[in-house]
Amino acid sequence: MTTSARLPEPPGGRAAARRRGPAWLRFWPIAPAVVFLVFFFVYPATLLLGLSAVDAEGAPTIEHYARLFRSDLYVKVLLITLKVAGWTTLLSLVAGYPVAYLLATVRDNTRNMLIIWVLMPFWTSFLVRTFAWIVLLGRSGAVNDLLVALGLVEYPVRMIYNFTGVMIGMVHALMPLCVLTMLSVMINIDTNLTRAASTLGARGGQAFWRVYFPLSVPGVAAGGLLVFITALGFFITPALLGGRKDTMIVQLIIFQIHEVLNWAFAGAIALLLLVTVLAIFFLYDRLLGLSTLSGETAAAGAARRHGIIARAGGRLGRLFTAGMGNLCEAAARLFDRLRPHRADRPRRGLSRGALWVAGLLVVAFLAVPSFFVIPVSFTEEGFLNWPPKGFSLQWYELVFASAEWPKAAARSLVVAVCAASLGMLVGVPAAFVLVRQRFFGKTAVFAFLVSPIIIPNIIIAVSLFYLFSKLALVGTITGLVLGHTVLAIPYVVITVMALIKNYDRRLDQAAWTLGASRLRTFLHVTFPIIRPGLIAAFMFAFIISFDELTIALFVTGGDFTTLPKQMWDDAIMRVNPTLAAVATLLLVFMSCVIVLSEILRRRGAAR
Amino acid sequence: MTHSKRGRPVSRASRRQFIKSAAAGAAIAGFPAIVRSAGDRKIVIRDPGGPFTPGFNAAFYEPFTKASGITAVGVQGPHEPTGMIRAMIEAENYTWDMALLSKASHQSLVNIGYLEKVVPEGGPGPNVSRIPDNMRGEYIVGDDVYATVMVHRADTPLGKNPPQDWKDFWNTKDFPGVRSMHKHPFDTLEFALLADGVAPDSAAIYPIDADRAFRKLDEIKPEVDIWWTGGAQTSQLIKTGEVDLLYTWNGRAQVAIDDGAPAVINWNQAMWTFEGWCILKGGPNVDLCREFIEYAAGAEAQSRFTPHVAYGPTNAGAYQYIPEERAKVLPTNPKYLSSMIETDTDWWGKNKEALGERFNQWLLT
Repeated sequence: MTTSARLPEPPGGRAAARRRGPAWLRFWPIAPAVVFLVFFFVYPATLLLGLSAVDAEGAPTIEHYARLFRSDLYVKVLLITLKVAGWTTLLSLVAGYPVAYLLATVRDNTRNMLIIWVLMPFWTSFLVRTFAWIVLLGRSGAVNDLLVALGLVEYPVRMIYNFTGVMIGMVHALMPLCVLTMLSVMINIDTNLTRAASTLGARGGQAFWRVYFPLSVPGVAAGGLLVFITALGFFITPALLGGRKDTMIVQLIIFQIHEVLNWAFAGAIALLLLVTVLAIFFLYDRLLGLSTLSGETAAAGAARRHGIIARAGGRLGRLFTAGMGNLCEAAARLFDRLRPHRADRPRRGLSRGALWVAGLLVVAFLAVPSFFVIPVSFTEEGFLNWPPKGFSLQWYELVFASAEWPKAAARSLVVAVCAASLGMLVGVPAAFVLVRQRFFGKTAVFAFLVSPIIIPNIIIAVSLFYLFSKLALVGTITGLVLGHTVLAIPYVVITVMALIKNYDRRLDQAAWTLGASRLRTFLHVTFPIIRPGLIAAFMFAFIISFDELTIALFVTGGDFTTLPKQMWDDAIMRVNPTLAAVATLLLVFMSCVIVLSEILRRRGAAR
Repeated sequence: MTHSKRGRPVSRASRRQFIKSAAAGAAIAGFPAIVRSAGDRKIVIRDPGGPFTPGFNAAFYEPFTKASGITAVGVQGPHEPTGMIRAMIEAENYTWDMALLSKASHQSLVNIGYLEKVVPEGGPGPNVSRIPDNMRGEYIVGDDVYATVMVHRADTPLGKNPPQDWKDFWNTKDFPGVRSMHKHPFDTLEFALLADGVAPDSAAIYPIDADRAFRKLDEIKPEVDIWWTGGAQTSQLIKTGEVDLLYTWNGRAQVAIDDGAPAVINWNQAMWTFEGWCILKGGPNVDLCREFIEYAAGAEAQSRFTPHVAYGPTNAGAYQYIPEERAKVLPTNPKYLSSMIETDTDWWGKNKEALGERFNQWLLT
């Protein structure tokens, strides 16, 4: 990217003066995020994790860390966790990319309709989603019934209670995150570039791999990163859909925290996880460059940096895109030879059709459990089962008759909006600095800002409980908002960084040369362009808070309910159709919000 | 930071000061917090939530509040509340005064000295005295007994040839069917020993011969189709017929049966243990909690939660108020209790960590 020294400056030359000033002035926007996390995450978490370095009498010891390696259990489970997160990321990216590409290249109203479907998994609580898969994919589930009836298989196929089950559940839960992040980047890619490549003779495949794909890489990197670190903390889905060997490291931490009360050792396991993930970050940075996220394309970043690994990484990236391009080219030639192309017809049709098919298949996968949830909410039985028996509104009556459900929903809504707003307020400026400024230890700062997702929620929950007890914030909505903001910041930072990376700064420069001030430029040029991405970032933060249970349980002291807590409460003995009814109501509500905002947007545009 | 405070009762003065600042903080923030003044007689009790909420409201909280003038409020805690209790005591922030805990969880807290004695100095009251010795202790008074029972689906071949004991559970040739086991060492190791021919008696089972148990588990490992991790999951597995044979807590199986699942509970060689009332160390309302415990140990009071949850009252007198139909599904029914084995939570308290690690390791190989 062009360095700031060569940029035209906004009028007044204030920036020029600032550049001569102390360096910290350029970095102040990152301060709120750092200070916030230091106070509400690092400080309390250190108190708890610090236990891992002392023995029962308070004297320093490495005993807890030695224990990590005395048995091979912890390293093994760590590797399983990384394997699960890695595959989830890969599958989410591969399946999510066509969807994001499709969404980025269709008309606005088609896109908005499709996004509703992509977001489906978000509006159904994770508990309902997981149980939906259990019922659909089980031995006597709907899918197996269909396969057997069609004669495709003789005996039911085992699709869950193994690694496949874990993948289905996790990819389904996390792919929307990935699609939306990629979309927020892709939507700003100028399609004229691909067209220009075509006029220069590149076929679809070549143009895509050599032009479009490299431009979308920041989105892919951000989406992959978000999915990867979020997946590391998943444990309920693998526990319910996995087999004997699918144990996640968070389960071992929870065992220590709750069942044997050995918090020192729990801290040691959590730190093992954190250190491993940070090591992966730095390796990734060396190889491909976090700069894919924070300001430069992989190739340029690697070329600038020294070292064999870095250069190899950059070359690998170029080789990959070139290779894929050539492969497509060869395939297209072969295809042309098999079925000669008529010059009077446009070429685009076929690959476009394939894209639609692939995209819609993935969207169908995302939407399936929702289609399950709606009919099941009208069942007469007391369980989620397929096919639902009879018709009854009893579950809806239960929801509306109880004072708790609407109250919990309203409270969750307020907390989620507040936490997401606060997260945006401190996260967005930080993302700007991380992308636009070059400074020593940038990777470290970035890793720091996203570490709240890597540390298991249970650790954050316990440590916040200590802190909030001192501040008299236990049992308050303020406390809950602060706790959820800690989790929201990483999502905001990663999403917004990908967005800014992709933003063409020359637009700002053009505005400046035309005499616009910094503020005016931001309001009238920058903001409208990055708005869809900001909305995505806000939405992630919102969802994270809206679906969060562990911190809510600790911070509220069980004193007031949030929606996930109310759902959990209802699922204590069995996961009953009330949850399906609530999920259906949420689905309807959220779809209404999206459709309404779409109508408003169109009115605004027409004016 | 934690161990210096171990077991130290918190002084009243500092608590009051804390409450005052908490109240002020809450007032500034404009949000409600649990604020109690000296004249306000109120206790907050953690319970498991779900069907327990209406059950305990009807059985204990409402009638006790009416009878004593002490307001008893139930709040739902996390599934496994010990971590939160530890945090409360160390932070000296008693959002709960007492809690319903499983005997095993209570043992973990007793081990680090975080519970108050449940019986006042003058000795137990008439109701608590009626609870048998093996259903209460120094730091817990049992409220309800639950059992880990074998359950099979009657609409499978097992319906005609039901497995009788754990040897049959392990015998996949004569008792074929999709099996599920708990992904946890509790009960699993005991059942392995029983399948290996150990006498169905606490004295014979404990201390658990772990090597022998794991050897026996090796045999059935490849035959287990699903390793379950949560109680709600087992109700679902039974209800949808995903498995033919498993073990779970009797209340979980009962929920599925009540909803029409053709499943059968086998009480023979089941493991039983109990949940009971515990008081958080150093809390401000210890005496009020003891009053509540005495009330909640009453026969009639205990009979009132049994329509909601299929766990057995610890006070045998409760059965005179329970309809026979319901008594059939409760674990403390004398007919079943004699064929069941009591879990040794003391032994588990000392060995849980090591065996948990070994069990997880075993799962991965």
